[in-house]
Amino acid sequence: MSHTTPMVEDGPTGADRLKPFVPYLLVLPGLLFVMGILGYAVVGGIILSLNETDMFMNKTFVGLKNYIDVFADPRFQDAMVRTLSFVVISIVLGIFMSMSFALVLYKVVRGRRFFRGLSLVPYFVSGIATAVMFRFIFTTSGGFVNTVLAQLGLPAQSWLGDPTLAFAVAIMANCWFMVPFASLILLGGLQTIDKDLYDAAAIDGANPIQIFFRITLPLIKPMLGVSLIWVSYISFSTFDIVLALTSGGPLKATELVSIYMYELAFQQLNFGQGAVLMVVLLVFNTVLSLIYIKIFVMGDRRHSEAGK
Amino acid sequence: MAEGYVEYRNLRKSFGGLEILHGVDLTIPEGAFAVLVGPSGCGKSTLLRMTAGLENVTSGEINIAGRLVNNVHAKNRGIAMVFQSYALYPHMSVEDNMSFGLKMRKTPLQLITDRIKRAASILKLGPMLDRLPSQLSGGQRQRVAMGRALTREPEVFLFDEPLSNLDAKLRVEMRAEIKALHQRLKTTTIYVTHDQIEAMTMADIVVVMHDGRIEQVGEPLAIYDRPANLFVAEFLGSPAMNLIPGTIAQDADGRCVQTEAGMRLPLDSGAKGTVGQKVVYGIRPEHLQLDPAGDLPIRLTLVEPAGWETHVHADLGGQIVRMVSTKRVAQRAGDSTTAKIDATRAHLFDAATGNRL
Repeated sequence: MSHTTPMVEDGPTGADRLKPFVPYLLVLPGLLFVMGILGYAVVGGIILSLNETDMFMNKTFVGLKNYIDVFADPRFQDAMVRTLSFVVISIVLGIFMSMSFALVLYKVVRGRRFFRGLSLVPYFVSGIATAVMFRFIFTTSGGFVNTVLAQLGLPAQSWLGDPTLAFAVAIMANCWFMVPFASLILLGGLQTIDKDLYDAAAIDGANPIQIFFRITLPLIKPMLGVSLIWVSYISFSTFDIVLALTSGGPLKATELVSIYMYELAFQQLNFGQGAVLMVVLLVFNTVLSLIYIKIFVMGDRRHSEAGK
Repeated sequence: MAEGYVEYRNLRKSFGGLEILHGVDLTIPEGAFAVLVGPSGCGKSTLLRMTAGLENVTSGEINIAGRLVNNVHAKNRGIAMVFQSYALYPHMSVEDNMSFGLKMRKTPLQLITDRIKRAASILKLGPMLDRLPSQLSGGQRQRVAMGRALTREPEVFLFDEPLSNLDAKLRVEMRAEIKALHQRLKTTTIYVTHDQIEAMTMADIVVVMHDGRIEQVGEPLAIYDRPANLFVAEFLGSPAMNLIPGTIAQDADGRCVQTEAGMRLPLDSGAKGTVGQKVVYGIRPEHLQLDPAGDLPIRLTLVEPAGWETHVHADLGGQIVRMVSTKRVAQRAGDSTTAKIDATRAHLFDAATGNRL
C-alpha cells in the first residue's frame, strides 16, 4: 500500500486484470495451430502462384504471369465452366436430397437414432472406395445398373464412356458422399422446431406444403446455410472421387478445376499454374460461404434484432 | 334448455394399447367458460387436442355446434387454440402471426386488417404489431397468442394451460384478462389447467378429471361445497380439505365420527350414513378453527402468517390437519390448545368407494 495515494479498497489485482483475456488465452493454442496449418497452406499456395518454381523448388518471382496464362488457357476455361455446372447441379440436387432425407428421418419415430447413424455410412467411406463402388455399379459390361436395365429389356448404356452420362454419374457419386452430413445438419435444424408450431399452423389452415415453405424452411434457415456451405465446398473441392471414377474423362467431360489442378501441378510439374487454380477455388469457396452466411445465418430474423 | 354446444359422447382415446380416456360424456352449453382441471396425466390435454382435431378419436363422438367433427380437419372445426408454449411463429412479426391463419384461408385483405385492428385494440397490442415474438415479454407473447386466436373469430376457444409459463403476478393478471375477454366476447371456451385456483376463479363450469375419467362437473362453488368424491374433495381448494378416516358412532347428542385415535368429530343432524359405517370425514381448513372453547384438543405444529389470513398446521389425534383463519394467531408451534369444527360444513365419504354419502 502506497503512503501517498489514498487507500483503494478491492483494487484490481494482476489476476483480475487478466480475467477478460483468459478465454482468448485458452483458445489461442488451438487457434494458432489451425491458423498455422491453414495459413501456411494458403500463404504458401499464394506465394507459389506468384512464382515460377522448378522441380528443385527454386522460385523465380513472376508476378501475375501465372494468372494471366491460366485465365487464357482454354482447358482451364472449359474446366471452370464444367466445375460451375457441376457445383450448381450438385447444390440443387444435393440440397433437395438432403432435405428429403432429413424430413424422412424426422418422421421416423422408432429407430431414428439407428437410421440416422446408418445414413452417415456413405460419409465415412473414403472417396476412392466410393469411386470404386460407383464403377462397379456403372460398369458397361456386367455392372449393376446395366444388368437391371437388361432385365427390364432396356438397352445397356456406356455410363462411364459417354461424356454426358459420366458427368451425371460423377455428380451422383459426389451427392452420395456429401448428402448424409448435410441431411444431418438439416435434421438437427428440424428437431429444434417447437412441435406446437405445426399444430398451430394446422389449426390456422396451412396445408403441408405451406407449412414447409412458410414455417419449416424459414426456421431452419441457419442450418440450411450451413449445409449449403458444406455442399458447395465439397462440390468445388471434390477430387478423389472424380479422379478415381473417371480420371477427368471421357474426353475431359469430367475434368473439373480440381482435377486439372492436380494435372498441372503433379503431372506437368507446373506448380505455379496449379497454385493459381488453388487460389481460384479458394476465392470461390470463400465468397460463396460469406454470401451464405450473410443471407442465411445473419439474415435470420429471429436473432437479427433480438437480445437487445 | 341450453343446447349443448360442444358435446362429447362416450369419447375414448387409446395410444397403442393404452387407453387414456375411458369414455367421456360431457355437454358444454353455448357461451360457457368450461375449465378442464386435473392432475397431469388425467387426459385433459388429450381431450382438448381431440376437440381441436390434433388427435384422432379412437371411439365415441365429438360434436361442435351440432356437427359431428370426428373426421373434420382441425382447420375446419371453427376452433382457435392458445398453446402453453404460445406457439408463435418466431420468424413472423406480431401482425403476421395474427394474420397467418386468415391469409391461409384467403380472407380478403381489408377484413384481415379490420380484424387485426380490433384484436390489437382489445388486447392492447397496437404498439407491438411490428415486433418479433423474441422481442416481447412472456405476458405480451401470451396476448399475441390470444390475439391470433381472436382474429380467427372462432366458434370455440381452446386454451391449453396458457398461463403455466408466466410468473405468479402476471398469471393473476392474465387470469382476470382472459375472463374479462370471455365476458366481453361470450365465445364458448374450453380451458385446460392443472391449477385448481384457475379453475375455481375462471370457470362457469368446472370439469374435474382424473385418470381419463370425469369425476365431477358443475359450477365452481357447487363443486367446492359438495365434492362428489374424495378425489375432488382433495383436489379442489387450497389448502386442501382435511380428510380424516373414522367410523360413524352414536354419541349422547347424536351421531359423530370416531377417529382411529378415539377423537370424536361432530356431525350435523342431517348427515347421511349409518352407525358403524367406515367413512372419511372431510372438513375444509376454513371450517376448522382455533377456539379456546372448542372440544378438540390439538397441538400446533406450524403457524404460517400470510397477512390477511394465517395457515395453521396442527396435530389432531396423530393426524396433521390444516386450518385457515382470517384472525391473527397468537399461539406458536408447539402450543397445545383446542379447536372447533363447524359440523354443518363437514363432508362424509364412504371409506370403501370414496364417494360422497
